[in-house]
Amino acid sequence: MTQSHNHGSTEATTQAGPTSRLVGILAEFSSPDKLVHACDQARQAGIRRMDAYSPFPVHGIDPAIGIRRTRLPFFVLAVGLSGLFLALGLQFTVNATDAVGPFPGYPFLISGKPLFSLPANIPVTFEVIVLSSAFATLFGSLALNGLPRFANPLHRIPRFKKATNNGFFLMIEAEDPNYNPRQIRNQLEQWGAEALEEVHLDLTDQKLPGFVKMVFVLLLALCTLPPALIYRARGDSNSLPRLHFNPDMDWQYKSKAQRGAPNIGADDKNPEWIFADQRAMRVIVPGTVVRGQLRDDGQFFTGIVDAPQGTTAIDKDRQYVSTDSAGLQDAGVAQDTAAAPPEPNWMTTFPERFEVTAETMARGKQRFDIYCAVCHGTTGSGDGMVNQRAMSLNALQKANWTTARSLHDHTVIGQPVGRIFDTISNGRGTMGPYRSQITVEDRWAIVLYIKALQDSMSEAVMQDDDGKWVPVRTVAPAVVAPADAGSVPSNDAATPVTNEGGQAETATETKANGDGGTSAENPGENSGGTN
Amino acid sequence: MATTIDEVYDNTWDDPRKRSPLVTGGLDYGQVTSTVTAIAEIPAPPRAWYILMAISLCLLGMLGVLLLHLILSGVGVWGNNNPAFWGWPIVNFVFWVGIGHAGTLISAILFLFRQNWRTSINRAAEAMTIFAVVCAGLFPGVHIGRVWVAYWLFPIPTEHLAMWPNFRSPLLWDVFAVGTYATVSTLFWYMGMLPDLATFRDRAKTKWKRMFYGILCLGWTGSARAWHRYEMAYTILAALATPLVLSVHTIVSFDFAVSQVPGWHTTIFPPYFVAGAIFSGFAMVITLLVPARALFNLQHLITMRHLENMCKIIVATGLMVGFAYTIEFFIAWYSGVKTETQTFIMRAFGPYWWAYWTMFSCNVFIPQLFWFKAVRTSPVAMVVISIFVNIGMWFERFVITVTSLSRDFMPSSWAYFRPTFVDIGMFIGSFGLFMTLFLLFCRFLPVVAMAEVKSVMPHDEEHH
Repeated sequence: MTQSHNHGSTEATTQAGPTSRLVGILAEFSSPDKLVHACDQARQAGIRRMDAYSPFPVHGIDPAIGIRRTRLPFFVLAVGLSGLFLALGLQFTVNATDAVGPFPGYPFLISGKPLFSLPANIPVTFEVIVLSSAFATLFGSLALNGLPRFANPLHRIPRFKKATNNGFFLMIEAEDPNYNPRQIRNQLEQWGAEALEEVHLDLTDQKLPGFVKMVFVLLLALCTLPPALIYRARGDSNSLPRLHFNPDMDWQYKSKAQRGAPNIGADDKNPEWIFADQRAMRVIVPGTVVRGQLRDDGQFFTGIVDAPQGTTAIDKDRQYVSTDSAGLQDAGVAQDTAAAPPEPNWMTTFPERFEVTAETMARGKQRFDIYCAVCHGTTGSGDGMVNQRAMSLNALQKANWTTARSLHDHTVIGQPVGRIFDTISNGRGTMGPYRSQITVEDRWAIVLYIKALQDSMSEAVMQDDDGKWVPVRTVAPAVVAPADAGSVPSNDAATPVTNEGGQAETATETKANGDGGTSAENPGENSGGTN
Repeated sequence: MATTIDEVYDNTWDDPRKRSPLVTGGLDYGQVTSTVTAIAEIPAPPRAWYILMAISLCLLGMLGVLLLHLILSGVGVWGNNNPAFWGWPIVNFVFWVGIGHAGTLISAILFLFRQNWRTSINRAAEAMTIFAVVCAGLFPGVHIGRVWVAYWLFPIPTEHLAMWPNFRSPLLWDVFAVGTYATVSTLFWYMGMLPDLATFRDRAKTKWKRMFYGILCLGWTGSARAWHRYEMAYTILAALATPLVLSVHTIVSFDFAVSQVPGWHTTIFPPYFVAGAIFSGFAMVITLLVPARALFNLQHLITMRHLENMCKIIVATGLMVGFAYTIEFFIAWYSGVKTETQTFIMRAFGPYWWAYWTMFSCNVFIPQLFWFKAVRTSPVAMVVISIFVNIGMWFERFVITVTSLSRDFMPSSWAYFRPTFVDIGMFIGSFGLFMTLFLLFCRFLPVVAMAEVKSVMPHDEEHH
């Protein structure tokens, strides 16, 4: 009690007048229970305008002071619901509509799924609800509490620093109708107050500190900058592109077709070239070989016996297809050799660098089935799916397709390996070149496999009744006209074999498959044989 | 005056006749305040603080240099490559996000369950959460490659891009989940700290400190009306943070589970990830708080009972994680899906067997030691085990991310993942970032929620 007459209160009372205003009286209690007790008493004494201050929330003080339940939860609920609609609306507008406007929508079509599917939009919705509600909770509670409030007369009282440590305070405001300075002091002492202090609002010290003023002035001055800049630019025009803070490879230093100079700093009068010779790429240095393009083995890379050795660009400049394809198409197979330039000396054996093994054979089959079989068929008889489909379109006058050649055609059977290699590499007739799709080794492997296919057709064998292996094909494949759809199919070879009986099943299959080439016109007949 | 119990008292035993005290040492309200504020008020922190700070700053510097290297050179400096395009950066992201779960769990879920023992540890755990989320956010932030267009992650209308993010992508959900989690955790942490910041303001000796803490605490006075709204707001935030904390690791697990990669496409992922996150988070809280408690003399506030409770949670969540590991195997076998079965056999016995068994031992076997009370109440043992758990949980994320990616459906695209020095350096460097932030927090902010501790102290009822 003795401590209550400290400088603050005495000074204020003596100076009383316009320099300060009494806010209320602050009483300190030693424990939370005493504080609650005092609040109770004050409330019973009819005092309404009061507040308690404690370092932690004191249990039971709300009814003692008469604090009503806060409306904060409803505010949070409202903001949370707004978050719900905001999130759903945002997702719907920008992902499921192509709404036009300042921020046009961008419908995402993914795997044909619906543009808006609630389950997939729930996570973002949930997070937005939580985020907006959390902001509402914090800022709502601060606003209801009148925070931030940096200027508070309570902070001028040294004793009040205990309110965040171990002091329990009750302040009764002077504005309470039942406030009676004398009486209230006695009452508070009666209720167990250990110290009393008057709280004054100092009216002389209402000015802002000097530096705060300066900061405000500075900020205000800065605020005039944007309007000033806008005013200066009013009615102005500018030929420069607009500011692009993050270039992000939008303007690269590169040559573009139909443009004179690289389009960085594009100024036609003063072009800026990437290289002095105005090219965008460098020319190969004479006498060098591009890595991985050394063609030191002419036979291996061309299939021609007397191919030049050690040349660096053999695959270039040999374009039989482009020079002669028109003539070939019109004149047909017979004129192929006649129209072409003199036939090179094709290799009849595989080059040294290519090893003929079971592995290369398997590789050849695998590559053949990928690249060749779509037109030429898995057996090489020209009945690939693409060919079949195109021929059916031909029949309806919807396409103009040149039939894929059967590899068992008499014009192909006799071809040397070098010639087949060249056909794969550079194309022939309407067949395109495959040198960029298939590696050299794989092309040779395909050639190997084609040779094996041809051999399997021409020399198909079967076991006779004595178990001896004899050729199946008694009729040589001399009469073949694969492109001639009208010709009578020769089923002579097929009929006796299918009649042979069960013991020759495997041979029958081989044979029937093989026959597919010669009797491709009649798929109904041999469909049992092909798998 | 209320004081905490002052006798040699083993509060890890429950006496059925009375409640075990939550704080000990015969402290009154003022002494609780001075115990906590002493950390910030002593002129110089303990030497260990400086040593740890020096190490952390070195690691942070290394992280900075490596980040610069990464941004200037591109993500090729990492070991991420076909087929394991998610390497250490995503592993580290999930690792740190997981650690960041304990704080909010302690603040929110234990608050809603009225577990009053949380009051001593929630502040530090929340701080740890925020710093872990900072580390976590770093990795996907730079993993996007062109960090200068990181704003494309958000639905910001740009004339330049002229399109929006896909709101049905788990990766976008992740942006929202982690972003919301970081924001809400920070709000929750800051709001809980307001009364304690006011305490710091009122005890500040210098003008600058008074201004610093004065601005931070927004003029808090501790009025009963303010406390009323504060408590309501705290409860609401806890109620919001509880589903949030469960949603975050659920959505992180969707990054994996919504894809079709074998070993990822499983419905067990959300609960399994959440359990693992709590597991690793509590381990990190123990790793940090046991030394901090000794360093700053907080034994009376963070008692053995607190630590023991956390050990019990670790054992419980460790069992859940172990159950998840086992059930994954069962489901792989039961489903009859060949790739799934192959993936799990490969995890345990394939080229990454070492990672798998490190994970399994650290997460399932070693925490079983906590069944013994002697282990549970030994600070050294619990720190060692919690570090093992941290290692194991990092390996769990490594196993999930890397093994599945390096062996998916097509054998032709199988490859073995190898990290680069940048991967390793950035992971170690992220600990530097984490520790720097945590040490600064210890030095300048209230480590223990004083107001909350005071509210659970026993107080005498003499005048009633």
